[in-house]
Amino acid sequence: MEEKQLTPEESMVLIGRMIDASKRRVAVPDLRISVMWAALSVATAAAVWLLWQLTGDVRFNFVWFAIPVIGIPLNILLADRSERPVKTYVDRICEGVGKILCALPICLTVLCLAFQWSGYPQAWLTFFFFAFIVVGFGAAMQGIVLEEKSYLFGGVFSMLTGFVVAAAAVSGLPLRMGWMIPLYMLCFVLMFLVPAIVIRRKLKRSTR
Amino acid sequence: MKELDPLLHSQLRLAVMSILMNVEEADFVYLRERTESTAGNLSVQLDKLSAAGYIAVEKGFAGKRTRTICRITDAGRRAFEAYVNDLKRYLNLS
Repeated sequence: MEEKQLTPEESMVLIGRMIDASKRRVAVPDLRISVMWAALSVATAAAVWLLWQLTGDVRFNFVWFAIPVIGIPLNILLADRSERPVKTYVDRICEGVGKILCALPICLTVLCLAFQWSGYPQAWLTFFFFAFIVVGFGAAMQGIVLEEKSYLFGGVFSMLTGFVVAAAAVSGLPLRMGWMIPLYMLCFVLMFLVPAIVIRRKLKRSTR
Repeated sequence: MKELDPLLHSQLRLAVMSILMNVEEADFVYLRERTESTAGNLSVQLDKLSAAGYIAVEKGFAGKRTRTICRITDAGRRAFEAYVNDLKRYLNLS
């Protein structure tokens, strides 16, 4: 492209062409950070579930802390390395949702610790509701912004799961780790890992 | 009929402005690739847009490499919108 004068018709065509050229990137934000958190959550949940099944020792619940201990440094590392050539409005929204979803569990941990010290260790179950409902809402929002149905499906599925679990808890039904943890893993796979695979395939197909 | 904004009525500057209208920010390499221009020419045109207050140019580092990031300003957005409206009038589209 050179520095040359245009006719009004050429200007209109050029504007349309440049908007099209930058449009494809608008629909594809950096997914690595959300995939990292989801994979870490699933792997940690699998470890807790396996250790608990093998030993029956509830102290293995401390393994959940592997999520922030590993996730926060990895997040910083990935954010530093992601020199994206272009940043869009979609990126800003996804980043904002991601930041809220990262900050909330820190507040929730403090809250649960306070409850535990007051003699109510079952408060930690709140994390499941956070994971199912709040993270599910975040994934559904991302699905709407990106116009990606797999995110929307995963998010709505997770929120509905959260409501069922909440209804069970309120009704006094026992919430067993034996099925709660696999359900948690399923939701994270559907909310973040499946959509990432779908988007990657779509991208590969569109660049062929 | 009102004259089209001469700063925008040029191929490369208009291409840059059209891209920046569609994104929050874009770096120099991205703009060069999308506009298929040379680094020297793009650099000159970015300076002109920046001097007019249509875009904000931020120079920084990404590791050891320099990185130039461009964003459209409010004045640039208004100018672009006015330019498109003028174009529509020229083409009898409004």
